[in-house]
Amino acid sequence: MDIRLLRASDIPLIQHANLENLPENYFLKYYLYHALSWPQLSYVAVDVSRPPKTPYDHPKIVGYVLAKMEEEPADGVQHGHITSLSVMRTHRRLGIAEKLMRQSQLAMVETFGAHYVSLHVRVSNKAAIHLYRDTLGFKTEKTESKYYADGEDAYCMRLDLSFLREQLREAEEEQKEKNGTEGVDEGEPVGDVGRDPAAAKSSEPKIKVKVGRALGVGDLVEKVESKAS
Amino acid sequence: MAPQTLSTREANLFRTVIRYYEDKQYKRGLKAAEQILKKNPKHADTISMKALILNAQGKTEEAFALAKEALTIDMKSYICWHVYGILYRTNKNFDEAIKAYKFALKLEPDSHQIQRDLAVLQVQMRDYSGYVQSRFNMLKARPQLRQNWTALAIAYHLEGSLQQAENILTTYEKSITSTPLKTDLEHSEALLYKNSIIAEQGDIQRALEHLDTDCKNCLDRLAVMELRARYLAELGRKEEAAKAYRALLDRNPEFSDYYKGLVAALGIQEGDEESLSAVYAEYAAKYPRSDAAKRLPLDFLSGERFRAAAKAYLTLMFDKGVPSTFANLKHLYSDPFKKETLPALAEEYLSERDASDTEAQGNSDSSKGKGAALYFLAQHYNYYLSRDLAKATEFVEKAIELDPKNVDFHMTKARIFKHQGDLAKAAEQMDHARSLDTKDRYINSKAAKYQLRNNENEKALATLGLFTRAETPGGPLADLTDMQCIWFLTEDGEAWQRRGNVGLALKRYHTIFNIFDVWQEDQFDFHSFSLRKGQIRAYIDLIRWEDRLREHPFYSRAALDAVNLYLQMYDKPKGGANGVDGGEANGEDASERKKAAKKAKKEAQKAEREAAEKAAKQDPNKAQKSKDGEEPKKKDDDPNGAKLAATTDPLGDAMKFLGHLLQFSPKNIEAQIAGFEVFIRRKKYLLALRCLKASIALNKDHPKIPDQAARLRREVSGALDSLPPKAKEVIEAELAAVPGA
Ligand SMILES: CC(C)(COP(=O)(O)OP(=O)(O)OC[C@H]1O[C@@H](n2cnc3c(N)ncnc32)[C@H](O)[C@@H]1OP(=O)(O)O)[C@@H](O)C(=O)NCCC(=O)NCCS
Repeated sequence: MDIRLLRASDIPLIQHANLENLPENYFLKYYLYHALSWPQLSYVAVDVSRPPKTPYDHPKIVGYVLAKMEEEPADGVQHGHITSLSVMRTHRRLGIAEKLMRQSQLAMVETFGAHYVSLHVRVSNKAAIHLYRDTLGFKTEKTESKYYADGEDAYCMRLDLSFLREQLREAEEEQKEKNGTEGVDEGEPVGDVGRDPAAAKSSEPKIKVKVGRALGVGDLVEKVESKAS
Repeated sequence: MAPQTLSTREANLFRTVIRYYEDKQYKRGLKAAEQILKKNPKHADTISMKALILNAQGKTEEAFALAKEALTIDMKSYICWHVYGILYRTNKNFDEAIKAYKFALKLEPDSHQIQRDLAVLQVQMRDYSGYVQSRFNMLKARPQLRQNWTALAIAYHLEGSLQQAENILTTYEKSITSTPLKTDLEHSEALLYKNSIIAEQGDIQRALEHLDTDCKNCLDRLAVMELRARYLAELGRKEEAAKAYRALLDRNPEFSDYYKGLVAALGIQEGDEESLSAVYAEYAAKYPRSDAAKRLPLDFLSGERFRAAAKAYLTLMFDKGVPSTFANLKHLYSDPFKKETLPALAEEYLSERDASDTEAQGNSDSSKGKGAALYFLAQHYNYYLSRDLAKATEFVEKAIELDPKNVDFHMTKARIFKHQGDLAKAAEQMDHARSLDTKDRYINSKAAKYQLRNNENEKALATLGLFTRAETPGGPLADLTDMQCIWFLTEDGEAWQRRGNVGLALKRYHTIFNIFDVWQEDQFDFHSFSLRKGQIRAYIDLIRWEDRLREHPFYSRAALDAVNLYLQMYDKPKGGANGVDGGEANGEDASERKKAAKKAKKEAQKAEREAAEKAAKQDPNKAQKSKDGEEPKKKDDDPNGAKLAATTDPLGDAMKFLGHLLQFSPKNIEAQIAGFEVFIRRKKYLLALRCLKASIALNKDHPKIPDQAARLRREVSGALDSLPPKAKEVIEAELAAVPGA
């Protein structure tokens, strides 16, 4: 099982895996919307071992994580959100979900300066709760009553990503030291990913594109937001 | 006729019409338009706007009539032409839309909006030279926007003018006066995009230099690292390449490409098992949770080395109770030694376990240890390369005895029934597995799939209905269709086809065809969206993928089903206006089939009725969220495919599916075989010949080839008179070279 970044050509089989595994489903366009807005954040697990039968065989997707950045965070803090995560039953308990999540979390910090990542999970979903809480260290923020279409409650969980930001800063400093004087400082503070969120926000006007109707994908966004994973 | 001009009051009113349209307040928009028209019945622009609103409400014909009327009144109005273009665009006639936009633009060269609409259509239609022109105009009009520079670069890039694309990006970069912030994602992505263009030109050395300087601080760290490793490897800078791949492995030790890259950079020879092992062992030790580092060596190890590694791996997996162990190893079965060794190791594990059974029993989770090994062996004997279904049954029963409520065990039991050819029992068993974990949709999907394989369409739909959204009007079928659930539509269609219900089978295949149309159109909004987001590399990836969208097996399977069904319909034209006929016709069981078909139809009607009733019970507020006058969802006027089945030209209908099949999957031999069958019936002998030759090139031993060759020869010699002599000559010459003809 390779764990790697999502490609556009994976999307039909990601959608397929989602339809097989979870009751919260989306149009293909919603996957495109993720892949074209935050292409660094979504990962797949693919079975590359089976020899293709035709030149057109697509590698089988056995797991995926579909992730995004919150467009307009209510708390004003840049953070990521897990839209959907699942692994085919035939490939569960191999550590795939954990690894998908870790790759996504790292990219959230590196590329988008995320401070934390949030998600929803059914209160009855033992496997997922074990993964999030015990393996990855998520904390339960609150319970949202009747969050899911069938009336089940959701836990809102979040994971503080400071530890990754810290790691990044250290790595960067190490790099700077190694480069010595040759790497002249460009005037940016070292480890700027760690700046205060408000400052980070105002310095990033360009990525703060509002996805409204004018962008054509707007209707879609509204629709799915109301039935998130 | 002179175009009418509006008074100030009405000109204002006209602007509100536009606003209402943009806000989707169609009823209000229409009212305002009527108000203008009362005084100025010949005001072309207003008539056009009215057309636009009607079009948005789904009244296409009326809209087109009005738009044409507006144009005859005022040929010189760019609004009329623009609207005319929009009508064509929303009705998917992109070529006509482009023409209309061009007219509009000629009349109003400065209209940014028309230019933009035209540009989007051009790229959607892959008119790259037109797109370059449009983007050039747009850049000239607004050079201060970075997006416009990037867009022109994209246009050049897609057109294949890589050098120009790079130049445009460079020109913009040079014009930046202040250093962009490190967190400027648009900038970061533009740099990486430029880097990809440099590499695409084949100048890897320069790409690497650019990456190491300009892209050093790009926010997409992974991209920088991956590109770096690739460039270094391509340049033969092995030591650095090895370092780069190590850095990637530290980040993600679960991607086989990174190991391959490292091994190549280290110069390790293919058969050098010892050195190869050492590489993987290092990562297995460094990352104990990595599966790849432990599993991948099984691919290249042989003999005793394989045995030892496999034993360690299996023991670990069984102890942990990983149910997917067999799925992860079955690809090794192409090697006879490995195929022997793996089950032997599982048996070994079992007997070792039995020896120390007393303590093992203390472990309450029986899917671990012994259960996992039994499960492995059941799957082993169920696998086509090592099949012994009696033994498979034996092992799965033992596993179930150990853990009677284990979903995976019961699932495998169902698979064994399937391989025994007992589809009914397989379906029943899979449904039992489902009942053991009603919260897992995966097992639900499998149960439904097995029901479909057993031709139980209604039951399958009911099963799936346990997970589909209850509030979707139209029930599970509508939800699955809305959600583009291809696997279901395909299996459902195939089951209906087996049951002789041509109508519903065709209906499903056409639905899949339409979903692919939707997927192709889905890119439309992203031509502008991606420019705003600045994620250009992802956008290029999308465009390239969309270009070959229909090579997806999802498409070819449904298309082949449809073509083959149409062929049957052509060969056996039958009365059945509702299309409940077909299947393997051979007289004897015809009445049997008719009965089945009748029953199927009744059941389908019942299912539909129930769905409609259920829909009617829905909360009306929830069912229709539509705002004022928003486009109503079009009602399906052929839900059961009766019209599709009643076709008088099945071969013509087959062409719709076949065209894309041959265009996008020419190397799929089944497509070529089917193509031949359609063309020979349509007496298109040259095209039939082309398919035949393609099949031969793909696999000259395909069993259908001699028969097809013989038939083509026979037909051609019989059709001498009707065939142009030249064509006949060509075909005969070509056929001479075909075996069996
Ligand atoms: C939840 C899910 C994604 C987990 O995938 P996975 O690849 O099997 O998970 P991993 O192998 O990475 O397991 C991570 C951890 O969770 C534990 N875990 C996994 N499945 C479990 C189960 N059924 N019960 C208890 N724990 C479980 C693992 O043991 C591991 O724990 P560890 O770190 O203590 O060793 C998968 O079960 C799934 O796809 N379920 C259906 C879809 C779904 O519910 N998605 C989540 C929606 S929020």
